[in-house]
Amino acid sequence: MIFNNTALPILILLVPAVASITFKWGNIKLATAISGIIEIFLSLLLYIDKPAPGVFFIDNISVLFIFMVTSIYFFSSLYSIKYFSQHDIYISDDLYFLLLNLFTISMLFTLEINNFGLMWVGIESTTISSALLIITERNETSLEAAWRYIIIVSAGVTFAFISIILIYYVTGTLTMSTIINSSFKSKFLILAVAISLMGFGTKSGVFPVHTWLPDAHSEAPSPVSAMFSGVLLPVALYVIYRIYEIYPLKTVYVWIATLSIVMAAIFLIYQDKYKRMFAYSTMENMNIALIGFALGGPGIVGALILLLSHSFSKAGAFYSSGNILRLTKSKKIDDVNGLYKNSPITAIALLFSSFGASGIPPFGSFFGEIIIFFSLYQQHFLVPFILVIISVISVFISINFNVTKMTFENGKNNSKIDRTMEIIALISSIVPLAIGGYILILMGGLV
Amino acid sequence: MNMIQSIIFLIASMVAISGFYIQGIEFIIANIRGQSIQSILIASLSFIMGFLERSLDLIILGIMVVILRVILINYFLERTIPKKRKFSVEKYLSVPYLLIVDLIFIVLSVILIYKFVFSSMILRESIAPSNILVFPLITFFQGMFLIASRKSTHTQIIGYVEEENAMILFGIFLLPIPLIIEASIFLDVLALVVISSIIVLEKNEHNPVEDLIG
Amino acid sequence: MEETLLLETISQVLFTLLMAPLFSGIMVKLKANVESRKGPSIFQPYFDLIKLFKKEILIPSTSGIFFKIGPYLSFSIYLFISFLIPVLIPTPVIFTASADFLGGALLFSTASFIKVLAAFDSGSNYAKLGASRIMSFNFLAEGTLITVFFAVSILTGTNNPYTTIELLTSNPLSDLSLLHLFSLIAFFMLFLFETGKIPLESKGVQELGMIDSSLNFEYSGKLLALNEWGSYMKQYLLGSVLLNVFLFPWGLFSGVPFFLIDIPIMFLKWMILIIIITVIETSLAKLRLFRIIDYLTVAFTFSVLFLILTEVISV
Repeated sequence: MIFNNTALPILILLVPAVASITFKWGNIKLATAISGIIEIFLSLLLYIDKPAPGVFFIDNISVLFIFMVTSIYFFSSLYSIKYFSQHDIYISDDLYFLLLNLFTISMLFTLEINNFGLMWVGIESTTISSALLIITERNETSLEAAWRYIIIVSAGVTFAFISIILIYYVTGTLTMSTIINSSFKSKFLILAVAISLMGFGTKSGVFPVHTWLPDAHSEAPSPVSAMFSGVLLPVALYVIYRIYEIYPLKTVYVWIATLSIVMAAIFLIYQDKYKRMFAYSTMENMNIALIGFALGGPGIVGALILLLSHSFSKAGAFYSSGNILRLTKSKKIDDVNGLYKNSPITAIALLFSSFGASGIPPFGSFFGEIIIFFSLYQQHFLVPFILVIISVISVFISINFNVTKMTFENGKNNSKIDRTMEIIALISSIVPLAIGGYILILMGGLV
Repeated sequence: MNMIQSIIFLIASMVAISGFYIQGIEFIIANIRGQSIQSILIASLSFIMGFLERSLDLIILGIMVVILRVILINYFLERTIPKKRKFSVEKYLSVPYLLIVDLIFIVLSVILIYKFVFSSMILRESIAPSNILVFPLITFFQGMFLIASRKSTHTQIIGYVEEENAMILFGIFLLPIPLIIEASIFLDVLALVVISSIIVLEKNEHNPVEDLIG
Repeated sequence: MEETLLLETISQVLFTLLMAPLFSGIMVKLKANVESRKGPSIFQPYFDLIKLFKKEILIPSTSGIFFKIGPYLSFSIYLFISFLIPVLIPTPVIFTASADFLGGALLFSTASFIKVLAAFDSGSNYAKLGASRIMSFNFLAEGTLITVFFAVSILTGTNNPYTTIELLTSNPLSDLSLLHLFSLIAFFMLFLFETGKIPLESKGVQELGMIDSSLNFEYSGKLLALNEWGSYMKQYLLGSVLLNVFLFPWGLFSGVPFFLIDIPIMFLKWMILIIIITVIETSLAKLRLFRIIDYLTVAFTFSVLFLILTEVISV
């Protein structure tokens, strides 16, 4: 419309860059918040006006992911302004926001570009820009968690580079649109797809290379954890999906994702810290979405609904966790009691977020999961179907048991926190409700 | 194979052997120097192949390897070792045990993977026989084993750089990767090392942490 | 034909028997000269052996029967090995078919095992010290010995040492493969260990460095002479394998009367080896005892790695 075709994606990339230039002049926080709003607007515009495949490749799936990234970016930047306002952190405030902007740029770059090699570069640069964010509050455990994150993810993504080399070897090009539209058959492509599951799956929570996930999520500050769970892992999932489209290895993907879900459910039972609990729930949701992508057809729709509502719920969950941490100064579930009495908004936000994360109707994630389970059953994957349902039920029970324990038992807290933080958490957790309601209306309109 | 091919084969095998050298040494500064030896070997390989194929890309690649890997990474890492403790050693390390476990690991993983997977790949023209691909594979797994078997941060960084070296070698042999991608890879690794050097200043050893179990 | 074979066999065995102490003497003299000493004469080992044969045998009261028969056994094994390995003549002689490379390696192991057993049997503390030291290093050394021999066999497709030389000499130089090079390095490291050179072991009266020489501690007279002669022969045999199979397989002839040329040619090759060994001995310091296992691990890793690599990449 108003803009030239390729100008829009470039503009999306440039806005946070412009915001980070104000690093020198001291008002980067305001600039980041403003750029967040502009970005959401631009991504909605992108839905209407997609450029043709060239340097950038945008289709409906990419637009959805871009919208997710920009929204969570906006929420996290607002939340961060308030979260760090009274506390001293290791890296300076301005540096934190600069890194946040770079992090977002690299994620958007990965989503938009039409070249597998450059997508790999984008994923590597997300690791670089997010590594320092984890050690914001400097203590021994967060250093250890950041180190594990760097080493495990870098080693895994380097492994995935082998698959990129193999793709180039077989097809002679790295442009995504040409490879997906033509069809190549070669045993090296099978190898490439399998390697990329394990390689990029390191960043996306696939068993057995997920081990950095709970550590990084529990040690990073809450807005950073929200960005990790809400958008970083889905971006890695996006890359896996694009490579999967070259040669669908359905059985392998479904079984490994099922294994990861079962493992996540088992680990979740033992958790006694709420942030790690939410981290394992992220792992479970990511793998359900992976099953959806692998199954194809309606599964992809289910996965997209799930990812969209999950990112908002999980961001809300981590924002509430940040609030709880500021209130009670403890990371353990047992130390948190009686939220409902003392700070009702946080309690409601926490409840809604965990309902959304574990998939209770009428939240959007429930509908996404139902569609995926239905496709699983339809395509005769009966054993994974049963395993996944058992795991989901178990996760549901564990999370909600812990959350209700935190909210409703008796106890007292005396600290007060800033209203804005609570409101952001509340808004973020209500969005999935809105999505779910929208879907209900759609279904009601159909029926 | 004729003379040039034998030389290329020999240099590639020296890369794999320097991986064993890095594994078996205790001094941290020797690890860093060992990694620069590896990068010099890879750069020389890139120069030789660039002259053979008259390809400017490979020669530029070689120059970039020398500048980024050998000079800059060494500079950043050596800065983080304090002057007095230049000869610091990793504690509680037993070289023979690790070397033998490393040998078993390499033999099992590389040989199996190579035999079943890569043996049917054909390299372009006649630069080197196709079975030269086993050397980057060995170096890659050496890097992984180095990370898994050591507790000190410096050595784990070196293990990661070794993995990236193996990727470059793989790329050089298999096909000429577009220069942009190679350039970005280098800058990535450099940025990673810079960040790691920040962490290394804080934390030198990694032991199991109570909070992060489970 | 038969006489040729007989002559060749006899000359090979006699050469091993009689010339082995000479090489050891040359090595000691050369090292002494490098260290600015005059050193003993090159025939000193012969004088020592003759002197020892004339002396009386003293046996500790705590020893058993094995102590007395051990030296005879190991000496005869070394003599037998000289039939099997191309130490002088490059074509098979009588009794060659009794054992191939693997058999040769196993015979070496048997001989050292017998020596250790005999030392153990003597009931003396120093001998037990040496025995335990040797046993704790031997597992890697034996592994390296066997794999190195196998490496050469895979290279040439045959297990017979003599045929190996023929195949190696008939290939041009540029065909020398990577495997050959690295097996050579592994075998050289092993050779330094087995014959007790610095940086692994220091001869002389210092007990701190003794590994092999401590096994001889309780022996005297004829038995000591046989033990010493046995170790000179072991050094000669291993060094000849190193030279003839790995380093310079060329230059050996067979058939009357050409095989007589082999004798000066072997001398020449051994001179080169002696010079290399002297350079190493005089420039390195002795490794501490627990470092020896690191050294052997490196040799073992080289040999196993390249053995398996050859099988995989078929070079």
